[in-house]
Amino acid sequence: MARFNLVEGTSRYRAYKWGAWSLWIVALLLFAFAVADTAQLTFFDNSYNIGLPRINKSISFMIAILGLQVIVGYTGQLALGQSFFFGTGAYVAAYLVQDQHWPWLATLLVVIPVCFGIGALFGIPALRIKGLYLALVTLGLAAVFPAVVQLDVLDEYTGGAAGKSVDSDLIAPSWLPLDGIANFLQSIPFFGQYFGDGDLTSKEANRIWQYMLFVTLAFVCFWLLGNLVKSRPGRAIRAIRDNETSAAVSGIQLARYKTISFGISSAIGGVGGIVYVAALGFASPGDFTQLLAILFIVGLVVGGVGTLPGAVIGGLAITFIAEWSSSTAEFPGVPERWLQGPTGTLIMGVLLIILTFFLPGGIVSGARRLKAKVVRVVPIPPKGFTPADSAAVQAPTLATVGDNDLESQN
Amino acid sequence: MELFIARLFDGLSNGATYGLIALALVIIYKATTLINFAQGEMAMFGAFVVLVLATERGLPIWVAVFVGMLLSAVAGAIIERTLIRPFDPSDHLPLVIITLGLFLAIGSLAGIIWRFDPRQFPRMFPSGNALTFGLATLSWYTICVVLTVVVVVGLLTLLLNKTKIGLAFRAVSSNLESSELSGIRVGPTLQFGWALAAAVGTLGASIYVADPVHQLEPTVMARVLIFAATAAAIGGLDSLGGAIIGGMIIGMVQSILVQYVPFIPNEMSLATAVVVLVLVLLYRPSGLFGTPPVERV
Repeated sequence: MARFNLVEGTSRYRAYKWGAWSLWIVALLLFAFAVADTAQLTFFDNSYNIGLPRINKSISFMIAILGLQVIVGYTGQLALGQSFFFGTGAYVAAYLVQDQHWPWLATLLVVIPVCFGIGALFGIPALRIKGLYLALVTLGLAAVFPAVVQLDVLDEYTGGAAGKSVDSDLIAPSWLPLDGIANFLQSIPFFGQYFGDGDLTSKEANRIWQYMLFVTLAFVCFWLLGNLVKSRPGRAIRAIRDNETSAAVSGIQLARYKTISFGISSAIGGVGGIVYVAALGFASPGDFTQLLAILFIVGLVVGGVGTLPGAVIGGLAITFIAEWSSSTAEFPGVPERWLQGPTGTLIMGVLLIILTFFLPGGIVSGARRLKAKVVRVVPIPPKGFTPADSAAVQAPTLATVGDNDLESQN
Repeated sequence: MELFIARLFDGLSNGATYGLIALALVIIYKATTLINFAQGEMAMFGAFVVLVLATERGLPIWVAVFVGMLLSAVAGAIIERTLIRPFDPSDHLPLVIITLGLFLAIGSLAGIIWRFDPRQFPRMFPSGNALTFGLATLSWYTICVVLTVVVVVGLLTLLLNKTKIGLAFRAVSSNLESSELSGIRVGPTLQFGWALAAAVGTLGASIYVADPVHQLEPTVMARVLIFAATAAAIGGLDSLGGAIIGGMIIGMVQSILVQYVPFIPNEMSLATAVVVLVLVLLYRPSGLFGTPPVERV
């Protein structure tokens, strides 16, 4: 039994919700200032970077995995070619910013419709191509992307094999007192030492600004998708996932909802691509390969298929497993040879298999199980629900109308 | 015309190797209704084992290939028993994830053990040209590859049609539940399918890299897998002969299209394969020779 029972709609529940969110936001901000410099952890003589550039890259992966959650996690279609749309978004944004001198945020207006369109277009054959075949086709699509951007006709837009670099940077606006905040944090006794010293360099300030923008963008994506999966279309796509035939029988238009969910997933993937190229300032054909598409699947599974917070964990996992294993030069008990090759990929492959066996719901489901031991959110009974009607079935009713927190508790 | 024949001959050897890998995919599909995304990596790993046996242990190349196939078969059987059998075959997502995990793990394991520099594979076939028509030359390599494929298909047909385990395999792939009820031990039979597929895959990869223009490196099979999967889908995922014919079609299309259609550059041959795959799946989802699925509601 949980230690705290919170009933939805009460003031205690609201306090819990707002408290949790504010804590998160403060933590995210503090974190930005703490690692704005190239922060490093040292472990067995290896130093591991956790600086903001890497965090920013992982945010782009989080957004891409979020898109994957829609199509794989909620609609149940094995569309594995997210790197195609991620790459498309990255290249379109790079072209608009570098060659047409658009501001970064304005590229959203082009990337979202373009990726939505391409995604929906690929969604149309997917109405007939199902299951494993769809997985095969979409993996093929991901494998084709590097060749497409290196086509001669696209060379002047994409930069061909050499890739395309973008000079324009997101510059922190002068009205934002980043320096003031940094100085304030440094002046806190005892903890101040963790926030670097002196004023921020312009590079650090820009990084913090980028981070704040990307986090906001990611939050918006999460919020919109969170609403989507709770709404009527969200219930429709989940019904498609659970059983296509019965969904169609209950009046859900399969073609429409599948196409839309393909489009949304691809559009979000494109947004991830913008963040990627804005954070790294560079897009090259070698970045958006079939391997990246499979790494997104790793992120999806590690976080938890069909859970939105899973995308956060997944994005962090695929960035830092790859990053840290390549900066591990020595590790007790592991021969050096094993640390020099593609160790990160090996770890991710093994992780994928182990998680499928022992924690199929990913890390999020494990965390929810733990959380359910402490906090339990009891939903408001639906209108017209009287205890007398359902005295006999009250316990199962509670469990079935509850969210995952409740289910995993039983 | 000479050029056309030359391109046909070029397509023949590629097509035959695609056919062999496709055959491996089809065997696994028949056993577990699963597309093994790790098949290419398994085959690549097997080819590396063959290379090590031949160069470092000094075995004659065909003995090395045979031992490599045996070892692959054992590995395939172990993978089936430990990683595939625990899951419900009708739920695709976990199985796809497992095979993708295998794809990553086997590929990077080969990268760690053998590094990424390309290696020359020992000659398996006589070199030189057997026939020449002006520009078109038919090399001994091509002839031997086609012969090998014919022999493999012949042996497989015998194995599946004339032996008890072959009969059991056909029964299980046609109806799992009924064959279980009639006393066939389903698990070992599926395991046999995986072992067979792994062995055929290793042979396919070895033949592919034995071509003088190819070299063995850990990433060699990533592209081949897409071609082979397309071949398997063209033939119908559950038809052995269809896989070979599909492989030939893909090999021919690849070599002829790149020659005669100027706006398709060479790098786009993979894209062509994907487009062919989509068209086949859209207009003939069960391929040329596959059995159309019947769904009962």
